Amino acid sequence: MFLEIDQLTMRFGGLIAVNNVSISIEKGEVHGLIGPNGSGKTTIFNVLSGYYKPSGGKIIFEGRQISGLPAHQITATGFARTFQNMRLFKSMTVMENLLVAMGYRAGVGLWQEIFDPVAVHREEQTFTEKAIELLDLLEVAEFANEPATSLPYGHQRRVEIARALATNPKVILLDEPAAGLNEIETEELRKILVRIHDRGITILLVEHDMKLVMEACETITVLDYGRKIAEGTATAIRKDPVVIEAYLGKEGNP
Amino acid sequence: MSVTSIFFQTLIGGIGIGSLYALVALGYSMTFRSMGLVNFAQGSIYMVGTYFGIIWYQGMVMNLHVPYAAAFLIGLLCNALLGIVLERIFRPLAKLDLMLMLLATIGLGFILDNLFTIIFGATGFAVNSPLPNTPWIIFGVRVLPQMALLIGVSFSLMIGNQLFLSRTKWGRAMRASAVDYEIARAMGIPTNRMNALALSIGCMMSAAAGILAAPIVYVSPSMGVAVGLKGFAAAILGGLGSVPGAIAGGLVYGVLEALSAGYISSTWTQAIAYIVMVVVLMVKPSGIVGEITVEKV
Amino acid sequence: MRKITRILRWILILAVACLMLVLPWIAQNRYQVHIANNIGIWLLLSLGLNIAMGYAGQYNLALGALWGVGAYTAALLQTRLGVPFWINLPLSIIAAAVIAAFVGLPSFKVRSHYLALVTIALGEAMNLVLVNEVPITGGADGIGHIQMPNFFGFPINNDERYYYIILIMVILGYVLGRQIVSHRIGRAFRALRDDFQAARAMGVNTGFYQILAFAISGAYAGAAGALYAQLNTYISPDIFTFNSALIVLTMILVGGMGSLPGSIVGTVLLLVLNEYLQVFQRWQLVGYGIAIIVVVLFLPGGVVELARKFGNFRRRWLAGLSKGKSDAEAG
Repeated sequence: MFLEIDQLTMRFGGLIAVNNVSISIEKGEVHGLIGPNGSGKTTIFNVLSGYYKPSGGKIIFEGRQISGLPAHQITATGFARTFQNMRLFKSMTVMENLLVAMGYRAGVGLWQEIFDPVAVHREEQTFTEKAIELLDLLEVAEFANEPATSLPYGHQRRVEIARALATNPKVILLDEPAAGLNEIETEELRKILVRIHDRGITILLVEHDMKLVMEACETITVLDYGRKIAEGTATAIRKDPVVIEAYLGKEGNP
Repeated sequence: MSVTSIFFQTLIGGIGIGSLYALVALGYSMTFRSMGLVNFAQGSIYMVGTYFGIIWYQGMVMNLHVPYAAAFLIGLLCNALLGIVLERIFRPLAKLDLMLMLLATIGLGFILDNLFTIIFGATGFAVNSPLPNTPWIIFGVRVLPQMALLIGVSFSLMIGNQLFLSRTKWGRAMRASAVDYEIARAMGIPTNRMNALALSIGCMMSAAAGILAAPIVYVSPSMGVAVGLKGFAAAILGGLGSVPGAIAGGLVYGVLEALSAGYISSTWTQAIAYIVMVVVLMVKPSGIVGEITVEKV
Repeated sequence: MRKITRILRWILILAVACLMLVLPWIAQNRYQVHIANNIGIWLLLSLGLNIAMGYAGQYNLALGALWGVGAYTAALLQTRLGVPFWINLPLSIIAAAVIAAFVGLPSFKVRSHYLALVTIALGEAMNLVLVNEVPITGGADGIGHIQMPNFFGFPINNDERYYYIILIMVILGYVLGRQIVSHRIGRAFRALRDDFQAARAMGVNTGFYQILAFAISGAYAGAAGALYAQLNTYISPDIFTFNSALIVLTMILVGGMGSLPGSIVGTVLLLVLNEYLQVFQRWQLVGYGIAIIVVVLFLPGGVVELARKFGNFRRRWLAGLSKGKSDAEAG
């Protein structure tokens, strides 16, 4: 199994945010994670990216257990993520944001960083080219030297995705990338997801925009109050009475 | 003297010093709780308050020798006014980046320390106790009357403060505005005035600590540096923002320091005190009681 | 227009460089050269602290004590073991860097005001060691009779000759500092300062870089210490305190945190004012305190920010001028 979330439980004091959730994800999949607010989606992301240590259960990636590893090591294993509330580095330009994400792959050692400017320059050239390529993919290359947080909202979202891709991931966790986007922008986002998928990167998508989820995802897992209540293809999920109940129940429809 | 009486003597000394730290720690916690601000100038405020009171008692002002109790009250009053002024200064600071806020209060302390050094000179002076210098013997333990006064008055102040906060209308208003700034304002509580009150109380406590301790420690413009650091550590030990925590933290810190000075080595006491502080901060940064984080607007 | 400003800028740099090179000759007396040497030492401290605090956001308020580590290492090696300058300088750098790394360890567990407190406490504890370990450090009396350097028979025994050593070290410090902050290390520092968690998610080994920031500032402090000891031939613990760290802090704050040229501006400005105002020592310190508050409240980016604002204003004014001209021509 490529990525295995195995009986994951996450407890915060008395609150159980994630309750015995198991999800299997195949390589190259586009996997959606949906559920009403507070169902545990972002918590699962936080465990996956190493921000939390699971209270119970484990995460197995390509045969190795990664749960409990420090966040930066998990990134090095091949996980990238974006954040729900968008966390670009505000003192830096778009390009610099991406270069940071490539930093851990640097071949230049610490001593050389300070005393061998030629090697540093050469490597930075390579990284800059790769970064431009990613920014092109996300169609924001023209803003490479602008301060990252000065861009319009939709573009910042793309920069965040480009930055995550800059870590050269095998899996990318996208946390509500469509939040705040209009219909046109969401459609562009869907195309971006296709491009990412075409590169062989596995995508895990937390989203509230149902249209996007249904169109983009091959498999969808549905959570409610920290538990998995359904899993399957978009068509299956749409018709699943348990899912409908969970969503409609939340909105308080009679 | 027996081993036990030496122990209790050291303990009393520790409680005395601890009361000092507790009063200063109160200043830190009350400021943090109401304004979300860590006031690195608290040690300097302690020093300033001491001078405000002691100069009247020492005959440094127009050769008047004001009685100790009156000098004490004058010092408290002056520092209370200082607290109100500080609230005005801290208002714009409270909204800033944490680092900048810290630096500004450090700068403030710097100003106060050096200003007072200019006015009074770098060397300090010794202060005579208003009470006789022969130690009382309580249950076989020698206690200096001044020490007893320090402990007695400190505890009275701390209890009084606690009663004020929990029983009176003003106290409750203060706590409300600390817990939720927006709602307090919406309810018509003048939050700025509440903050000024909190700061005044904190500054008064520091002044009290200094004036009470003056006959025991040496009075000089640099007296606030070490006490300020340790008071802060004590406040963190008890949980920054918690009033009972500040008291507990101060007492524990004082006792630990006295015991280590008495039983380990007095030259190394200071260094040990600092290292203990570091260890505590690393092991449990939220303190014994737990940090009360402040929702800043 | 831009090409002219670029050429002007290079001419300016060249002029300043020439000035720096011939300073001992054009100075009116030895005292002025001594001031320049003093400025150089504080410059190293400022550069180091700015890298740790301004870029990486790590409070290293133990800097004064680390300066002392460098000074005492050089002093002890020189007086007890006769180690020559060009060996005890790197050794002091390493010693201070290593101890700084240890000072930085708490940064894993504590942040912001707690870290500030911890580093102040550790700095004071180290200073106490210097004061109390009399047999080794000479206690409050310090260490005297430190020899000035001697390069294979060429004695560096006065301020003028020492000046060039300090000049080289400052230039080296600046160039290396620039190299550090402009590439991967600098970006990692800024990332961990901007958003610690996001930095980790992007693969930045934040723990490593935090310690590195401390070590780098320690290295600069160590160099400053070794230079200080062998210039003044006498050291004592009372300058290696939190007070000194505060002074350096004021310098980088006034000049511009997070800007290496800012450190230079701030340091030079404050020290030169120091000399030319010739005011009673304590008032200067009161002035420093006021400067901190003023900068924090009104100009957190320091002089550098002021320069940038001025540059923007000038650019817009020039743009307005040329627009007015073209409007007039069109109309």
